[in-house]
Amino acid sequence: MKRYILLAIGLVMTAIYLFPLYWMYLTAFKGSSEIFQYPPTFWPTNPQWSFAEVWQSRGMGRYIWNSLLIAVGVTILVTFMGTGCAYVLSRVRNIWMDMALFAILMMQVLPSSLMVTPIFVMFNQIGLLASPRVAVILAQTAKMLPLYIVLCRATFVQVPRELEEAALVDGSSRIGAFFNIMLPLARNGILVTSVLIFLQSFGEYVYARSLIAKNELQVATVGLQTFMGPDASDWNGIMTYAAIYVTPILFVFMLLQRRIVSGLTAGALK
Amino acid sequence: MFQIEIDHLNKHYGGFHALKDINIAIEQGAFVALVGPSGCGKSTLLRTLAGLEKTSSGDLRIAGESVVHKPPRERDVAMVFQSYALYPHMDVEHNMNYSMRLKRRPKQEIAERTRAAAQTLGLGALLDRLPKALSGGQRQRVAMGRAIVRNPKVFLFDEPLSNLDAALRVHMRSEIRKLHERLQATSVYVTHDQVEAMTMADHIVVMRAGVVEQQGSPLDLYDRPANRFVAGFIGSPAMNFIPVTVGPDGNRLMLEKDQVQSLMLGRALAPGRRLLAGLRPEHLAFTREAGDLAIKVVVEAVESTGSMTFVTASIASQQVVAAHSGRPEVSRGRETELFIAPGNVHLFDPETELAIF
Repeated sequence: MKRYILLAIGLVMTAIYLFPLYWMYLTAFKGSSEIFQYPPTFWPTNPQWSFAEVWQSRGMGRYIWNSLLIAVGVTILVTFMGTGCAYVLSRVRNIWMDMALFAILMMQVLPSSLMVTPIFVMFNQIGLLASPRVAVILAQTAKMLPLYIVLCRATFVQVPRELEEAALVDGSSRIGAFFNIMLPLARNGILVTSVLIFLQSFGEYVYARSLIAKNELQVATVGLQTFMGPDASDWNGIMTYAAIYVTPILFVFMLLQRRIVSGLTAGALK
Repeated sequence: MFQIEIDHLNKHYGGFHALKDINIAIEQGAFVALVGPSGCGKSTLLRTLAGLEKTSSGDLRIAGESVVHKPPRERDVAMVFQSYALYPHMDVEHNMNYSMRLKRRPKQEIAERTRAAAQTLGLGALLDRLPKALSGGQRQRVAMGRAIVRNPKVFLFDEPLSNLDAALRVHMRSEIRKLHERLQATSVYVTHDQVEAMTMADHIVVMRAGVVEQQGSPLDLYDRPANRFVAGFIGSPAMNFIPVTVGPDGNRLMLEKDQVQSLMLGRALAPGRRLLAGLRPEHLAFTREAGDLAIKVVVEAVESTGSMTFVTASIASQQVVAAHSGRPEVSRGRETELFIAPGNVHLFDPETELAIF
């Protein structure tokens, strides 16, 4: 009996969480009059198929390409710089490392909207705004790096130290042990964390909005915002745009979920 | 020619002096056990040999060559970890030949040596399994295999049997010993189990609190413990210690708190000197032989394992345990006599704890 109650609560909670998503897809398919109909319909009576049209008219290809470029750039930079850092933080234990970790955690606290003004001034002075997408990549990398390091460090901590020592005694160098033993065993954690970083950066808004002036270099989130004029009414278009934007992310998430499995280090010890 | 020479080795962790002036020389082909209670520094010493810990001062030579400043990979030592530390993402074969692959040995040689080692350890059918699909005993053997394929200068074992069940442990003990007889490689074996050390090693190093208390052959340590700690550590059940005083003639020991009993000694000591007498349980007999000393005791408990009987008895207020391989006719509360040959009585100074020979 208790199980059914818990199941029911779980289903209700899931429904509440997924409702906005459902409403987004629903509105994308509804006609403009049906959207405002009262009582609302929960299944489109006259489904619209305006995806190609919205993609074309809004120049979504370019926006998404820019978003993709920035997200990939950020992910590569963060993974490249953060993995080694996370490893070191997981292996060396002393007061300085604790302080470094604390500083990293503190950096996490600062929101983009606070950081964007000093970043803008600094980037402007060193001429980085001439290549605004690179500027956004750098700013977003700085924003994402602490999160990556903290999450990745937890993965490295889980890999037993003996494995590395066994590799050292077996004739491996420290770097060799890192690449041959530690990295393969932390692979899942690194993968999951980088996908998280990718998705976060794919949906980045504040830095792109502030640092990118030219429309043809703008990202998809800012592109979506161009719908929102004082007389915003094209809810069908907005939701279609959002659906196109979000669906790939949902797929990535579903694939990712199967990857989040522990037990990669099973059998190492005992 | 010594294969391993440890020369005035010290190790500090911050303010903690973990290894204090260690001097050990190990001959080529010897099987040496480092034994002691947990925290005595035996594992630290082993890790120092492997190069996983840095030394603070002193020298460390393997095959005559100082390795103090060399990283583990340049020392040509193989180590079996207590937790086995198998690479979970590699199958048994790749676990075993990882070191050879690192050295870029010819493919054929790698395959041959892996196969030979797998055969030796009975792992032939498991070569393509991942560690997680192996039982504890199999994992232990893979860990051993990883060491023996390398044919290193020195084998290091860090309590390799402590995670196995009792029966498997006894079996692997003789397996490792047999393997050693065949390979004749210098081995250093860390254990906290003195039985393991006694049965396997040619040479035992007993450590306590970072200090080598005594080293020598197993029977040497058993027969002539240098101090009270070694005497109590080696042998099971542990040696009984009874405070005694040397009698006025300097030739007999008076049991304290019991002025009536005394033990004749074949040697003279300073009269009135207080000492500790060490009596091994297995030396205390219920039947008298010519020349034996007799001690009156009251039986307090009788525990029988079938083959052995452990009798706890009291002398005045002191408790002693006697181990008897038969089934002695004793029962609780009864007064009886225990006999011991004078040569089996160990004497220790209660202050310095050093043995008096």
